Amino acid sequence: MAKLFTLKGIVGGSIVLLVLAIALFAPLVIPESYATQMDMRARLSGPTATHIFGTDQLGRDLFYRVTLGAQTSIMIAGTAVLISLVIGLPLGVISGYFGGWIDNVLMRLVDTLLAFPALLLALTISAVLGPNLTNTIIAIGIAFTPFLARIIRGEALRVAQMPYVEAARAAGTNDAAMILRHILPNIMPPIIVQATISLAFAILAEAGLSFLGLGTQPPDASWGLMIQASRDYLDIAPWTALVPGGAVAITVLGLNMFGDVLRDVLDPRAS
Amino acid sequence: MTDPIVIIDQLRVGFGDTIAVKDVSFSINPGETVCVVGESGSGKSVTSLSIMRLVEFGGGAILNGRLLLNREGGVLDLAQADTPTMRSIRGNEIGMIFQEPMTSLNPVFTIERQMTDGLRLHLGLTGAAARARALELLRDVRIPEPEQRLKQYPHELSGGMRQRVVIAIAMACRPSLLIADEPTTALDVTIQAEILALINRLKQETGMAVMFITHDMAVVAQIADRVVVMYRGEVVETGAVTDIFANPQHEYTRALLAAVPRLGEMHGKAAPEPMRLVGQNHAPKPILARETPTPLLEVAHLTTRFPVRGGPLRRHIANVHAVEDVSFTLNKGETLSLVGESGCGKSSCGRSILRLVNPASGSIKLDGVDVLAQSKSALRQMRRDMQMIFQDPFASLNPYMRLEAQVTEPMRNFGMADASDRAAMLFDRVELPRSYMRRFPHELSGGQRQRIAIARALSVSPKLIIADEAVSALDVSVQAQVLNLMMELQADLNLSFLFISHDMAVVERVSHHVAVMYLGRIVEIGPRAAIFDTPQHAYTKALLKAVPIADPAKRNLLGDLNFKPIPSPVHPRSYVPEASTYETVAQGHLVLR
Amino acid sequence: MSYILNRLLSVALTLALISMITFVVTNILPGDVAMVIMGTQSNPEALAGLRENLGLNDPLIMQYGRWVGGMLTGDWGKSLVFKEAIGPLIAQKFVASGLIVVMSMTIALVCAIPLGVWAAVHQNKWQDNAASTTSLLGVSLPDFFWGIMLILLFARYLEWFPSSGFVHPADDFLGAVRHAFLPSLALGLGLMAHLTRMTRSTMTGILNQEFVRVARAKGLSERTVVWRYSLANAIGPVITVAGLQVGYLFGSIIVVESLFNFTGMGWLTYQALLNRDIPLIQSTVFVIAAVVMLTNLLVDLLYVVIDPRIRLN
Repeated sequence: MAKLFTLKGIVGGSIVLLVLAIALFAPLVIPESYATQMDMRARLSGPTATHIFGTDQLGRDLFYRVTLGAQTSIMIAGTAVLISLVIGLPLGVISGYFGGWIDNVLMRLVDTLLAFPALLLALTISAVLGPNLTNTIIAIGIAFTPFLARIIRGEALRVAQMPYVEAARAAGTNDAAMILRHILPNIMPPIIVQATISLAFAILAEAGLSFLGLGTQPPDASWGLMIQASRDYLDIAPWTALVPGGAVAITVLGLNMFGDVLRDVLDPRAS
Repeated sequence: MTDPIVIIDQLRVGFGDTIAVKDVSFSINPGETVCVVGESGSGKSVTSLSIMRLVEFGGGAILNGRLLLNREGGVLDLAQADTPTMRSIRGNEIGMIFQEPMTSLNPVFTIERQMTDGLRLHLGLTGAAARARALELLRDVRIPEPEQRLKQYPHELSGGMRQRVVIAIAMACRPSLLIADEPTTALDVTIQAEILALINRLKQETGMAVMFITHDMAVVAQIADRVVVMYRGEVVETGAVTDIFANPQHEYTRALLAAVPRLGEMHGKAAPEPMRLVGQNHAPKPILARETPTPLLEVAHLTTRFPVRGGPLRRHIANVHAVEDVSFTLNKGETLSLVGESGCGKSSCGRSILRLVNPASGSIKLDGVDVLAQSKSALRQMRRDMQMIFQDPFASLNPYMRLEAQVTEPMRNFGMADASDRAAMLFDRVELPRSYMRRFPHELSGGQRQRIAIARALSVSPKLIIADEAVSALDVSVQAQVLNLMMELQADLNLSFLFISHDMAVVERVSHHVAVMYLGRIVEIGPRAAIFDTPQHAYTKALLKAVPIADPAKRNLLGDLNFKPIPSPVHPRSYVPEASTYETVAQGHLVLR
Repeated sequence: MSYILNRLLSVALTLALISMITFVVTNILPGDVAMVIMGTQSNPEALAGLRENLGLNDPLIMQYGRWVGGMLTGDWGKSLVFKEAIGPLIAQKFVASGLIVVMSMTIALVCAIPLGVWAAVHQNKWQDNAASTTSLLGVSLPDFFWGIMLILLFARYLEWFPSSGFVHPADDFLGAVRHAFLPSLALGLGLMAHLTRMTRSTMTGILNQEFVRVARAKGLSERTVVWRYSLANAIGPVITVAGLQVGYLFGSIIVVESLFNFTGMGWLTYQALLNRDIPLIQSTVFVIAAVVMLTNLLVDLLYVVIDPRIRLN
């Protein structure tokens, strides 16, 4: 437990908490108009007293945009990871625990899917379904599933071979009880670590998709979309890219730091 | 009186805030073997690493004390020596060998490379000269086909051969001191006997001093000239080996010696009995067999094979013949031991009886019921009657489950009522405080965990308990306590044990009957006294010869033997093994032909 | 011999599976090729006629069969956006991407391995913390962010490198490198960070092993122990991880190439996706997945060469 409170843990944890708090509470506190209100006279201006992070090409305040955008980006990333867990967990556990031909067939499929770079898969699915908020979530969720399923399967396999599982079998435990009592509790820690890191990647993925125009679309304000919008103004107003980009970077950094520390605490043999 | 080679004076070593070694002092003379003996946490390894100044690499620091090395130029305090001096001493004047032969050699370098880089460094030998010296060293340690070995990689050699290579590397520059840190703990007993004989011979030939670290008092009795007993980082007693064994002064030494099962001390006793440990005033009660033995477990022609899969399509290309035509009978209220070295199939046998792995053929009858004929659900019900205690006390308990839940799990599986009450009673029975019921496995020591495993096995009142190397991973004193517990429970509850082990001395103590296994077959089976007093089969005799006896008066260090390497149990699918046929030597005593 | 045959069979099987997955994913489109060619506002009769001509009314299996058959015979179809044959188009763009993948991998490995070893040797001290923190930062920033930073710094501000365009190495090698440098760096920085972390953790694991202690007990210098004994064991796993990262790289190049207007496979795929150029989408996605799969295979085989334990089995 003490390992949680290293510098990395405190910084990472604080960032994560801060971002989560902003994502949850900012929309309740800040009226949406603050972010959408356009002020063409102040467009593309740098940080000032009234606009602490500056304004974008439509004169919208970047501070409010990026703060409200937190909810969109986090929500997309979180739901996507949830989808991949919901699909990947049963798949991985069944594959790893039961083994045999189920494992062979499923892992063949998963391995083949893993040949498709996750970002490419997400882009293709999104493009094919038609890019919007919901489809972005679905695309990222599906794209991350093979990777997560493989990791979960590996963990389930490892646990299934532990002596305490054999001991439980010798004690008459059936498969369902085995999975619930022994397999799941013991694979949870590494999966929590993996989920945290996947969350970071999902935020990066959403940023990438939106940056390419195949993710969220206006008027939904996500960080990736903000970076995309800033592309044409990089020379004259670099802060329009730096603000959302910085938000992504800090959030991902916080998640990665926290994930690292979580790994030290929950899954020491992996570090 | 020659001066000591090494004098350790008031050594104090710490890791962060913990002191691992406190004010340790002793000396080692040339030509003598000093055994540093202790259990885990005694600080014996840390002491040896400190002499080599390797302890700093693991985060340790020498806080106080002197490590005086007597060398040509005078006396040097190793604790103060600088790095270049230490480097010139390591592998040169002081050689060191470690416990795990499997990981002591770099997996990606050839044997030749690993042997010659020390030669190059300290003796300046290169090319052909280095190679010649390496060959010479390999011959010294009696490795078969040394020219072949040079070109090979470590994973191509067996554990025993690897340890010989490690010894050869340590001996390369004719050190005046050889430090051996548990070098035979991970080896089979026959290989151990060879390595001990080898170290002894090298010592006699070169006149070097040997500092031998071990936890095994029997090994100490066999090879030590003097003994240093360590406990919790301090030296509690030193002396000549005969004195220590005959007249131990410190209470820890006495407790330790009392806990060591000695081969031969059951001679003349009719039945197994608990060990007489320090602090126990009552005489141990022997566990007598029943007047009319009733068979509980009848195993006939049991065969278990594991498929070997190869090729990219993972086809079944060969079989590991783990258990081959094994037959025996275990009577109610008795203990039958399956004893043998690693890979002989004893564990697989135990697993097959429980159907944790499925046998290829044969019959297993528990109290008349055919185990192999049961359907999956019927088998599950049968599990009430046969339970298992596993070797690794850490890994056989779910780290995320409270101890009470682990003990009640078998009961819950079968819908037994009053599971919690019964669990509390079981905790009492295995002498664990009831407050432990709320705890998690990582809060307990190895011995305590094994007690939980015993409680778990007892919870459904099984007829048969299979103990698969159940005490092998425990410290000697803890091992004795757990063995006593098992024997007391057997007497009280009329339990029947199938005891699987590699330790002959332990087997001698706990068994009514013994079956010796080799390459998947039983080579000899009979009453304990018959097997130990009058062994018939060549392998049994070899095994008994190799076991170190915990009595310095009975030294049986062999001249250099070369036990033949155990042939591989892997055969192609088409291979048809012959049946096991036995010759009856005496009542109940059979020998494989 | 049979091992090689078996391996080839496995490869063929996987390629078939990849093609199936590609086809399925790209053909769940609501619209279709005909609409893309003629536009959504076009005459429904003409649309129907075109659909018939293009065979879009046939069952999916037939369409799939036609596509695969075409690929095997060298006819990869025509791009709707570029109006050219897809085969040569891909071949051309592949050179560009190959260039930056190789460059970024080289940059990453050359920097990451020494850095990772250095961090492992000084485990838990300031060097380790510094290296770990910087690499953590490196993996946290999106590639295109690095790209934007690099463009701002090196292209706009310092004007050392061009910010866009691709030059074929055969035409002008130096120019090719100049144009490829910033995109490679953008890709490589994130990769370097990841590989540094990998190297560090692999090395710390190795440094804790018994044979390292034995090597020290022989009197070998710490430098020999680390850089010869230990690194020899770490190279295998690190190269394997690096090889597996090629898959990740091929995903990132889509973004990076678009940012730098670097006309490689990523850029091509992006154009295809943006414009719903189904034949092109199918082909580019298939090629990328196939290349990743073959790279993984190569890494597997390479490992056999590196690790004697596997070689002699």
